[in-house]
Amino acid sequence: MKVAASIKNFLLSLAGFAAILLIWQLGVSFTSVGNLLPSPWAVAVRFVTMCTNTVGRKYTLPMHLLVSLRRVLIGFGLSAASGIVIGIAMGRSDLIRAIVRPLFELVRPIPGVAWIPMAIVWFGIGETAKIFIIFIGGFVNIVVNTFSGSRQVDENILNAAYMLGANKVQAFFKIVIPSCVPYIFSGLQVGLSTSWMAVLAAEMVSATEGVGWIITAGQQNADMPQILAGIIAIAVTGLALASLMRLLERVLCRWRVRGS
Amino acid sequence: MSEEIKVKVEHLTKSFGDLLVLDDISFEVKKGEFLCIVGPTGCGKTTFLNSLCKLYDIDSGSITMNGKPIDLKRDDIAYIFQEYSTMSWLTVEENIRYGLKIKHCGEALMRERVENVMEMVGLTKYRNYYPRQLSASMLQRVVIARAFAVEPQLLLMDEPYGQLDLQLKYHLEDELINLWRKTGTTVIFITHNIEEAVYLSNRILVLTNKPTKVKESIENPLPRPRKVSAPEFVEIRERVTELIKWW
Repeated sequence: MKVAASIKNFLLSLAGFAAILLIWQLGVSFTSVGNLLPSPWAVAVRFVTMCTNTVGRKYTLPMHLLVSLRRVLIGFGLSAASGIVIGIAMGRSDLIRAIVRPLFELVRPIPGVAWIPMAIVWFGIGETAKIFIIFIGGFVNIVVNTFSGSRQVDENILNAAYMLGANKVQAFFKIVIPSCVPYIFSGLQVGLSTSWMAVLAAEMVSATEGVGWIITAGQQNADMPQILAGIIAIAVTGLALASLMRLLERVLCRWRVRGS
Repeated sequence: MSEEIKVKVEHLTKSFGDLLVLDDISFEVKKGEFLCIVGPTGCGKTTFLNSLCKLYDIDSGSITMNGKPIDLKRDDIAYIFQEYSTMSWLTVEENIRYGLKIKHCGEALMRERVENVMEMVGLTKYRNYYPRQLSASMLQRVVIARAFAVEPQLLLMDEPYGQLDLQLKYHLEDELINLWRKTGTTVIFITHNIEEAVYLSNRILVLTNKPTKVKESIENPLPRPRKVSAPEFVEIRERVTELIKWW
């Protein structure tokens, strides 16, 4: 029953994609959209070409993706590590909350791209600036979700642990942290996608490699198939990262899945 | 039940700001006794239990267990709350093991105790289930099993069956009595249900409205299993009902 439903969903998703491609092709073939947009076939051909031939100085499309991915993993890793620690500290300590929260609330509404000029001034146009922008992109969402989770730890469970003899350290690692895990994953999921957005912004400003650079270079050369191939590469990679994160969440939080 | 005093409460007083909740409460609980505490709604029964186990600081008075001030590290106390306190990220077996692991019991002892209590509350075949997969009565059984697994000297229960339907409540009350008789644990059970108090207890402590004092302590020597329709049962129930009336 479950397999049949999965197959049905997969076929429906496929039908959705096919419909979009058909509308795209018809628009290009029979309307003036063809003046603005290449056909899906032309984009597919370019995508394959970019995977085998270099784009820019030395990298193929997969290599450009790997460069971007490396930046994202470093920036996201840093934002995850610091965001989780700060979120939990803010949630569980009145003192830290009183000190940090006003500062955080001040920084929170600033869009990640607003940091680009500052990052360039502080760190130059090298890797550090890009990683900083990615860090900022993921950090806020991870802190917000982790903070929210650590404020919602069930006091009954905590008290039950204390009654059973747990000390504060045991209660923290055995009750507070596991309680927060679902919230942490929500933050990581959103943080990962905002980090991925931030890398594109960072690479569009100053880079000679990476998928953001591919799109910017395509724009500068009015090369629409390259822009679209870059966008497709971003979408597929973003989807793969989000799926990996969901898989990790399913493994680590299998207790949340009904019926498993 | 021995004559040895397990818990001694002397002149316990507790306020929240200007509101005096517990007013100079004194009583004793014997080792192995099943004491039920009843009182009008909002009289401070939960505050009393939370003060007893140091979740709340008290204003004055003393609470001792085996003649010494209560120390959660030293004294084996378990507390079953009104709401289910299962850890949703642990399986049934892991939940029941939790207290034993905290106390660093050896693996062999841990396995023996966990198997025993799981068998007693009928959860053996659900050992690998997560709380999300369990019914309300099973969740409460997990909490009860976790409490009994550590073989507490003192078990505190705060209206643990308040959220269950009648049939489940009766079933779990019988299970509790069986566990209590097998382990000899001292139990302090808070309820607003007078019939439940008469069914379970050796003794019933009736509290007044706020500021709360002990109104009366009623011995309940009825033989077990008890019948709620027996004249002696009805007599005690009516006596407690009369005492609890504040209107």
